[in-house]
Amino acid sequence: MGISTFRWKTKYGQPNWERISWLYMRLSGLVMFLIVTFHLLYMHMVVRVENLTFQNIVDRWNGPYGLAWKTLDTALLIFGLTHGYNGVRWSIDDYVHHRGWNLVLKMLLYIVGSILMIAGALAIFVGPGSLV
Amino acid sequence: MGALVETLRYVISYRGTEGHWAWLLHRLSGLGIALFLSMHIISIFSVGLGPRVYNFLHEVLYVSAPAKVLEVFLIFGVLFHAANGMRIIVIDFFPGLGKYQRTIVRIELLVVILVFIPAAIITLQGVL
Ligand code: HEM
Repeated sequence: MGISTFRWKTKYGQPNWERISWLYMRLSGLVMFLIVTFHLLYMHMVVRVENLTFQNIVDRWNGPYGLAWKTLDTALLIFGLTHGYNGVRWSIDDYVHHRGWNLVLKMLLYIVGSILMIAGALAIFVGPGSLV
Repeated sequence: MGALVETLRYVISYRGTEGHWAWLLHRLSGLGIALFLSMHIISIFSVGLGPRVYNFLHEVLYVSAPAKVLEVFLIFGVLFHAANGMRIIVIDFFPGLGKYQRTIVRIELLVVILVFIPAAIITLQGVL
């Protein structure tokens, strides 16, 4: 499928959620390409993972560019989790055709995904060390 | 599950070309990164639990020697998935490029490997 055959609605006039998720994978992929390139270059190559200690995170989130860092981390959380878990959902649909198991696995996926989204947002917005 | 077994049989017997292997690697890398991301969010969540918990998890999950080796695989997966994802997006928006896709996959793989080698060396500095 290419973008030229993209339609928002099915032939019955309902929103075509599968196609919209197809488009979403492309748009989130484009955004993530930029953020992930920066993330790999800066966090993994410049700072290096072993230096990403608690103190390093506190300094970044509470420093002069704190808002920029939190925005970037939130974008990566939202796009990475929704794009990644939508891909897992596609794979479940491809391989698990038994209706019951398909439903069970996808429900589990949505529950775990929601918990992770909340956990990630808490980490970014509640503040280092303030969950205890 | 039958579908999964069927797919596995297909994947090894189907004599697909560049596009087949690119698709397979895209799916495997995507699922792998999604698994890593799930663990990663939990360890970042522990920032809220204070330095002791966070630094302990950080040491075990990211700094230990086995973790550094896994990081190299992760970097390869991310580089490939990002480059291949961009190929898919570009060809979807410019379908005329589709007839060159076998060449594009080869160039893409070359670029990924050229970026991966220095990245792997930097990552493993101090481990090897
Ligand atoms: C770095 C930028 C990224 C780009 C450009 C990108 C691009 C794409 C595209 C275009 C697709 C759709 C493939 C198709 O329709 O066949 C896709 C699928 C997928 N992506 Fe990404 N992606 C990126 C990052 C990520 C990340 C961070 C994760 C994991 C958290 C991820 C996990 C997945 C999964 C699981 C699939 C489904 C694979 C399949 O259906 O075969 N991607 N990606």
